[in-house]
Amino acid sequence: MTKTVLTVDDSRTMRDMLLLALQDAGYRVVQAVDGVHGLEVLHQERPDIVITDINMPRMDGFGFIEGMRSNPDYSCVPVLVLTTESDAAKKQRARDAGATGWIVKPFDPVRLVDAVRRVAA
Amino acid sequence: MSDDPFEAIKVTFFQECEELLGDLETNLLALESGDTDIETINACFRAVHSVKGGAGAFGLEDLVRFAHVFETLMDELRSGRKPVDDITVRTLLRASDVLNDHVSAARGAGPAVDAERSQALIAELETLTHGAPVSAAPGAGTASAGEDDFGFTPLTLALDDLGGGELPPLDLPPLAFIAPYAPANQEQTGWKIVFRPHPRLYANANETGLLIRELGRLGPVTVEMDDSGVPLLDALEPNDSHLVWTMTLDAAVPEIDVRDVFDFVETDCDLNITPIMSGAAEVLPDLGLPDIGLPELGVSDLADPLELPAADASAGEVDIAALVALAQADTAARLNGEAPPLEVVSPAPQPQAAPVAARTPPAAAASQGAATQAPVTIRVDLERVDRLINAVGELVIQQAMLAQRVYESGLARSSDISLGLEDLELLTREIQDSVMAIRAQPVKSVFQRMPRLVREVADMTGKRVKLITAGEDTEVDKTVVERLAEPITHMLRNAIDHGLETPQEREAAGKPAEGTVKLAALHRSGRIVIEISDDGKGINRQRVRAIAEERGLITPEQVLTDDEVDNLIFLPGFSTAKEITDVSGRGVGMDVVRRSIQSLGGRISISSNPGKGSTFSMSLPLTLAVLDGMVVGAADQTLVAPLAAIVESLTPKPEDIHLVGGVDPVLMFRDEFVPLIDVARSMGFRDVPTELRGGVVMIVETEAGQRAGLLVDAIHGQRQVVIKSLETNYRHVEGVAAATILGDGRVALILDIDALVTTGRRRNSTRSDLKMAS
Repeated sequence: MTKTVLTVDDSRTMRDMLLLALQDAGYRVVQAVDGVHGLEVLHQERPDIVITDINMPRMDGFGFIEGMRSNPDYSCVPVLVLTTESDAAKKQRARDAGATGWIVKPFDPVRLVDAVRRVAA
Repeated sequence: MSDDPFEAIKVTFFQECEELLGDLETNLLALESGDTDIETINACFRAVHSVKGGAGAFGLEDLVRFAHVFETLMDELRSGRKPVDDITVRTLLRASDVLNDHVSAARGAGPAVDAERSQALIAELETLTHGAPVSAAPGAGTASAGEDDFGFTPLTLALDDLGGGELPPLDLPPLAFIAPYAPANQEQTGWKIVFRPHPRLYANANETGLLIRELGRLGPVTVEMDDSGVPLLDALEPNDSHLVWTMTLDAAVPEIDVRDVFDFVETDCDLNITPIMSGAAEVLPDLGLPDIGLPELGVSDLADPLELPAADASAGEVDIAALVALAQADTAARLNGEAPPLEVVSPAPQPQAAPVAARTPPAAAASQGAATQAPVTIRVDLERVDRLINAVGELVIQQAMLAQRVYESGLARSSDISLGLEDLELLTREIQDSVMAIRAQPVKSVFQRMPRLVREVADMTGKRVKLITAGEDTEVDKTVVERLAEPITHMLRNAIDHGLETPQEREAAGKPAEGTVKLAALHRSGRIVIEISDDGKGINRQRVRAIAEERGLITPEQVLTDDEVDNLIFLPGFSTAKEITDVSGRGVGMDVVRRSIQSLGGRISISSNPGKGSTFSMSLPLTLAVLDGMVVGAADQTLVAPLAAIVESLTPKPEDIHLVGGVDPVLMFRDEFVPLIDVARSMGFRDVPTELRGGVVMIVETEAGQRAGLLVDAIHGQRQVVIKSLETNYRHVEGVAAATILGDGRVALILDIDALVTTGRRRNSTRSDLKMAS
């Protein structure tokens, strides 16, 4: 069965890149432009995996994950965070926020799909 | 769209960059004006961050490097570690300009970035961030790679270098740890991993089963689960984690690969990874590796060993599924004691097969992904809009013709037909307005470019300038918007370069050191008015006069009003700057500005208050598709003269008309002789001179400021006419700018005043052979 990935990113470029990489890997992709929009799409689409940016207007990635994790419906949905830094502090921050894992930008499609596969049940 | 999706995304990236940089500038300007809202700072940060993110993906290293330094400072401001002060904001504004240059250069749309300037700004930004520039070697176009601790090579294998911080050097042979205990001839055959998840591992949606599956991709895995830690049911805390897993990987892969599997959960579990050596029948004891708090469990305590067959990435699914079931039992217990473990278990994923089966063409699926963004605008080819505007123009003409026919037929005004026609007229006007509104654009796109210009000019002239804009949302026809930038640019430059004083002069005059230039747009009686005012020194009328006299533009005897003196600066060749500066340059004087405005059917004027500043205001038609014209008759032709060019109209007195050399008539107009042009003769409608006494003269002014009188038979009135290009439909005709269709269905030519004036005099004497083809 095709898995659905929700990507949440305010950058059109990044959304397009995620779309391209994930669709090529056979995922169904739904997209949102910020955290608030992300939660809306989450309810509509019930994705299997979520990829979210951190810095976004209206609601950032941390707020978005918090919103997800506080809802029992989505507490077990894996979330990958897009981050530009790969230092331990940033990773810990992502974990603390409830992220399942992360993808360091810029990502290459193989790594992205690899990370998605790793957390996808 | 390009065939290569990656290239298409790159196009998107540059489009997005443009928007981001626009936002950045808007928000920085908001900061400059004292708005310290955290959301404004965040928005700046995000803009730079997104530019950097995209640039990284495309390997635009110079751009990434610059954006990174920029972003770092924004981050300091965002976190409140650094105050948002004037100096910082001004530096950020200049940095945004350089960022713009970097983007343009990366796009190939601009010249290469001035490396020195870029490096200087990097140093400035770093000084603000850290108190001192981090990168050495100022002037070096590219900073050393070690300057930043981010790995922005596009192919950075992010997952590889994660979790490496606390690890021993990776190339250290595992033998080194166990050398004292192991015979020298032993070789490593695999890894033993003791893994005890913390509750948060599950809270973050990680799963032991998935980790085991991942480990299985490295080689055959044997897993033992120790459930001895699971308490009795009444003491069971469902959200706790009670199992300990011992995984044996039968493959001598590098340690980093093993660590990698646990990368996401590194701090959410107790993890002990030790090498297994050949000949070692059982797992080696702990060899003094850092104790990570593995609890009271020994190998002997482990129960329920689970054998996993060799798992070559995709083969071991069935067994892994079983294992997942076990692992999930743990999760299930945690979540809900009653849930049967097997229900929680999802079927073993097929990481390889599924993607292939579900592969969809990117293009087809793109629409699906985009579906979540509701479009609020549509893009329409401009040509279609133009066609619509043309058609509506025809409609207006047709309607006017119909109205005239009805009028001529003598129908009563209250007749049904007349009333219906009135309604039609209202409707037609509404359609025309709506259609023109489609093409209308706010002047914002032009205004947005100006802050940068102002900063650059201010930098070059050593002046401090604050630009205030107003009325950015004022809309004008696209054709006009496109041509506004040039005159506004000239006027702004002029205002800063010639209008404002240096900070020292200003302070001496009791003004704030920072000068203010205001750029405003507004609608006034069917035209757009652009006003540029400064609070500088105003026009020095004595100097202007002196220069004008020196250049022979006026004679010392001429008496001029203040206004007239001010307007001398519009004369060709006039420049009041003592030296030719970088900014104004030679030849880019106010006369150029005036000419370009007049060519748009506009006018420019200046009002100045010595010591207080000057205001330039230019007014332009809202569209270049319709024209306010004076409908006149010459011979049997109806002509239209652009209203903007007409200074006044008069009936000439015979004694005011003189013949120069017995041939060329001139008109005495306000103590000045202006050439008198016989339009009918000049256009070739009539061979004999027009009867001077019966005619009417329109005093017109050319773009160059030359005045002339146009002699016509009669003036019929003012009217707005739809411009029809003559060149498109016929060919260029000297003296004619365009054509229009009047209400009675006749074609009327729109006069090209400039051409008429410059060639008219010659034609007056040497008979034109141009005949109207009507």
